Amino acid sequence: MPSRYLVQFAQAHEEFRLPELQSISELNGFTIQFLDDPECNDPKRPFMVLELENEEQARLLARRCILVKAVYDYYGHGSTYEALHEVNRSSKPKWEQYIPDTSFKFIVSGFNHTIPQRRQRDVIESFAYMDFLGEINMKTPQILLACFEEYDESFKRPREEHAGDGGFRQLYFGRLLEEGTARPLVNVFDVKKRKYFGNTSMEAEISLLMANQTMASPGKLMYDPFIGTGSMAYPTAHFGSLMFGSDIDGRQMRGKTYDHPSSNLKSEPGVFRAAKQYGVDGRILDLATFDMTNHPWRCGGFFDAIITDPPYGRLGRKRELSDRQKELCRIHREAPQPEDTPYIPPTKPYELSHLVSDLILFARYLLKPEGRLVFFLPTVNDEYEEVDVHNSLCEGMEVIANSLQDFGSWGRRLITIRKTTLQSYPPPTFEAQREESHTPAHKDFREKYFQGFKAPLSEPSPLDSPKLADQ
Amino acid sequence: MVRLITHNLLACHVKGCNANNFPLEFRNVELEIREAEFNPDFVKGFLPKIEWKALVDTARQLGDTSLPEEQPEMLDDDFLKNLHHVLLEIHVEEGAMVCPNCKHEYPIASGIPNMLLAEHEIA
Repeated sequence: MPSRYLVQFAQAHEEFRLPELQSISELNGFTIQFLDDPECNDPKRPFMVLELENEEQARLLARRCILVKAVYDYYGHGSTYEALHEVNRSSKPKWEQYIPDTSFKFIVSGFNHTIPQRRQRDVIESFAYMDFLGEINMKTPQILLACFEEYDESFKRPREEHAGDGGFRQLYFGRLLEEGTARPLVNVFDVKKRKYFGNTSMEAEISLLMANQTMASPGKLMYDPFIGTGSMAYPTAHFGSLMFGSDIDGRQMRGKTYDHPSSNLKSEPGVFRAAKQYGVDGRILDLATFDMTNHPWRCGGFFDAIITDPPYGRLGRKRELSDRQKELCRIHREAPQPEDTPYIPPTKPYELSHLVSDLILFARYLLKPEGRLVFFLPTVNDEYEEVDVHNSLCEGMEVIANSLQDFGSWGRRLITIRKTTLQSYPPPTFEAQREESHTPAHKDFREKYFQGFKAPLSEPSPLDSPKLADQ
Repeated sequence: MVRLITHNLLACHVKGCNANNFPLEFRNVELEIREAEFNPDFVKGFLPKIEWKALVDTARQLGDTSLPEEQPEMLDDDFLKNLHHVLLEIHVEEGAMVCPNCKHEYPIASGIPNMLLAEHEIA
């Protein structure tokens, strides 16, 4: 018999909530039933009611989902206290075991609103019919009962104290099962406290969400082809997976302290240092310097997931080589220099829409069947269309989640793609020339970003076109 | 680093070097043995992807003779533990990997192999 559980979300990244719940339930081999009730199934709101097979499944979600603040055994919801009490009465089989001698604490809490103390007492008293005989214990209760009043966004605005009190949209009531224990990882992996990071390091919360989208767990092998300073490697390894990383620029993985050829000091590469800090250095399988478009993989079909934040030049990575580097290139061209610092190739501009299609082909080659590709795609919000992502897809690869992190005029989408085919495919050819029928909103993203997403002055803006005359 | 599991997956990728480009030969290696978590399911799952002869030869070259010449049919615990040790616990920290065919040398520094090719080796 499935049972209902109340989920309280952390107030962040609404679009990432459902994909995360689904990934973690799939990882643990169960499915979530969502209720056919708009008050209980809207991931944009702070509370959601789920149907699960058992309590353990709800606890698993609380222990792994970064966006779950707490899970509760669900006793009822309603738009008025009368309605809530009616549902709660019918839930009696779930709570009657606590009547005789269980110590308890009762909290009443408002979302987007602070409920005056006096009314909190009234609310608690309105539950008197539950007739709990155990003592009230504020410090170490055996159970915690929580009643939430959800107010609309507008309640956040400054106003007279307690104005509008009681004008809630919905009520939720249940018994606390477990606080979300994955959420504190956001603090553990805080980039500012990390021993090694760079200006392209991904913030901890997002890296953790990405790691959950890969369904990272012990015994899995993962790969980041643009590993940089390793932001996604640490949480993925924390969840038990082995992580392989490569990057065209070895300096990103090593960090500045990397010894100069003239010095005898050997310093540990930065990614290993940070991995040690988190106790996951043993799970960084290996790092290697190479470019995705010229890779040395002997075969494909062995990674469980690919997790990456591709370079899209927002931070001006399209750099010129210094004179010293140009000199190194010249020396390398003329004679091999095994003792020298690694050869650093000049980076070429790589059009983002091509990079994305190539990355998906590359993932199809390297992933096991059912393996996942999880990556960020920056895009211009006003121009974005669903087809932008779908046109980059190839046979055997299917989008299973697409969540926007909105920065106003632009945003980035966390895309999760599953390899649905059992077939083996050859590695991609990474051709430079290709034809396109549709121009996606992420095309020439870097140029658009630096122009502030305004149409270039030399070309007529689409707003000037005679569209208005048609109406 | 450069564990033998990684070594077993990398081939020379110089333009036009398509035959006899695997396995790369280790040169002037500095080894380190570091214990790794043993996960028998992972080792078993990875077995089909291994080029067995390349792994055994390379392990022997580096002084580990625990693996049999032929891949056994029975996967007992001792065998999986030996395989785990060879794949994940032997680290090549310094040295180089050299292509048996075109002799291209991929240097390894602080455990990170440089597999980048210069422009003339790509195009």
